[in-house]
Amino acid sequence: MKKVLPPFVVFAAIIAGWYALAYSLDNNFASGDGSALIIPPPHRLFDGLNDATIDRIVSATLISAGTAFVGFLLAIVVGMALGILMMSSRGLESALWPWLIAVQVTPIIVLTPIIVRVAGPSFGARVFVTVLIAFFPIASNTLFGLRSVSGALHDVCTLAEFSRWQRLTRLEIPGASPAIFAGLRVSAGLAVIGAIVGDFFFSRGTPGLGRLVTYFFQDTRSGPMFVTALVAAFLGLGFFLLVELLRRFLVSPWHRN
Amino acid sequence: MALSAPSAARPSPHHPLQVEHLGHRFDTTAVLSDVSLHVAANEIVAIVGPSGCGKTTLLRTCAGLLSPTSGFAHRADRAVGFVFQEPALLAWRRVAHNAALLSADQALVERLLSVSGLAEHRDKWPHQLSGGMKMRLSLVRTLAARPSLVLLDEPFGALDQITRHRLHDEFALLHAEQKFAALLVTHAIDEAVYLADRVVVMSQAPGRIVGEFAVPFSRARSASLRYSPEFGDLCGRIAHCLEAHA
Repeated sequence: MKKVLPPFVVFAAIIAGWYALAYSLDNNFASGDGSALIIPPPHRLFDGLNDATIDRIVSATLISAGTAFVGFLLAIVVGMALGILMMSSRGLESALWPWLIAVQVTPIIVLTPIIVRVAGPSFGARVFVTVLIAFFPIASNTLFGLRSVSGALHDVCTLAEFSRWQRLTRLEIPGASPAIFAGLRVSAGLAVIGAIVGDFFFSRGTPGLGRLVTYFFQDTRSGPMFVTALVAAFLGLGFFLLVELLRRFLVSPWHRN
Repeated sequence: MALSAPSAARPSPHHPLQVEHLGHRFDTTAVLSDVSLHVAANEIVAIVGPSGCGKTTLLRTCAGLLSPTSGFAHRADRAVGFVFQEPALLAWRRVAHNAALLSADQALVERLLSVSGLAEHRDKWPHQLSGGMKMRLSLVRTLAARPSLVLLDEPFGALDQITRHRLHDEFALLHAEQKFAALLVTHAIDEAVYLADRVVVMSQAPGRIVGEFAVPFSRARSASLRYSPEFGDLCGRIAHCLEAHA
């Protein structure tokens, strides 16, 4: 009960705040049919949600989920590879680290022309943006985790004459996995954000959730817009839960927090 | 102070471990100075000395984990086992897998698990074991590789006295079975006397050998030995040597 109650209290507070906002905004219900123009109250969230709109939302969800999934997988590969590379040499770490931070803090819009040139204007570019946004927590946590492996365990491997590959796969990566999963949990949400942000900037092809929100906003269809936004939030939550499930299966049995 | 006692075994190139005039420096700080010792086959040699006198450095140099600045440490066999101060177990592997990490001899692993009382815990994770059980597992993992030389760096130091005494007897039992040579670093003089055939005393840093004591008791030692006057007398002489050079 102690675990379940607090989230419910917060949920009730959010719903209450939502109602308060919807009914306090001027002209929110000034449309001809009485539907909300800016923020629909929760009980009227599904107003104006016809079959065609649902199809558009489902299609956009699949596009964004696909982009986020591919981008997340690539971010794992890139992030872990960078972490391993930086762990192998302090020189490489000091050479790469400032540039990784620079990439992380540079607004995506500045990079838009370069991304279009490199990855094209549609799916490739969206995946590229997803990777750019999601790789950093994985890289930094991988590096931290690899550096945290016990020195005595390294000595055991040295005395057992483990090859570099054996040391990496049998000691360092498993030992770093709690830290890597901490990075993955952050990056899972970032991957969905990246897929939606990429959708705003690279608009060719079937629209994803980002562009659909823009369409509904421009059409002042606040109900579908909010539903789309909620779907995006649940998509992020789904990615997070997927990683959490994997962590519980692979790490929790042996790792005590 | 000339406390050198004649040792049972004389230096030989065939000893599992032969250390000659070994010295080590970290930058400008001398840690070890002109250390010479040997460990014969089936012999247990204990090293006692004040904190920071270079005992661990000596052990790591003997294992080949550090290169000496001068002199050498020669091991007759590449197969050297090292038991660290911490158990150094793979947290993501169960007890049975940790025990077999360095050995392909599954029958030996099973027997060692059984002798050490860990067989019934084979499917547990390391975090589910007590401190004493973790150290036993570390010992089993090391011995399962059948090393001719085992180096032990204060392996029982973090344990309570009852567990420590129990592990002393288990260690002696495993040694009687496997007949390896061992170099044991410890702070506890009674532990050194109870387990070893010889006790070597080191001075403050830069560590050098200032005394060597043969332990006259037969190998089959029981807990009552700790309360005998001879045991107390030998511990007292070693403590006196330590204090004189601290």
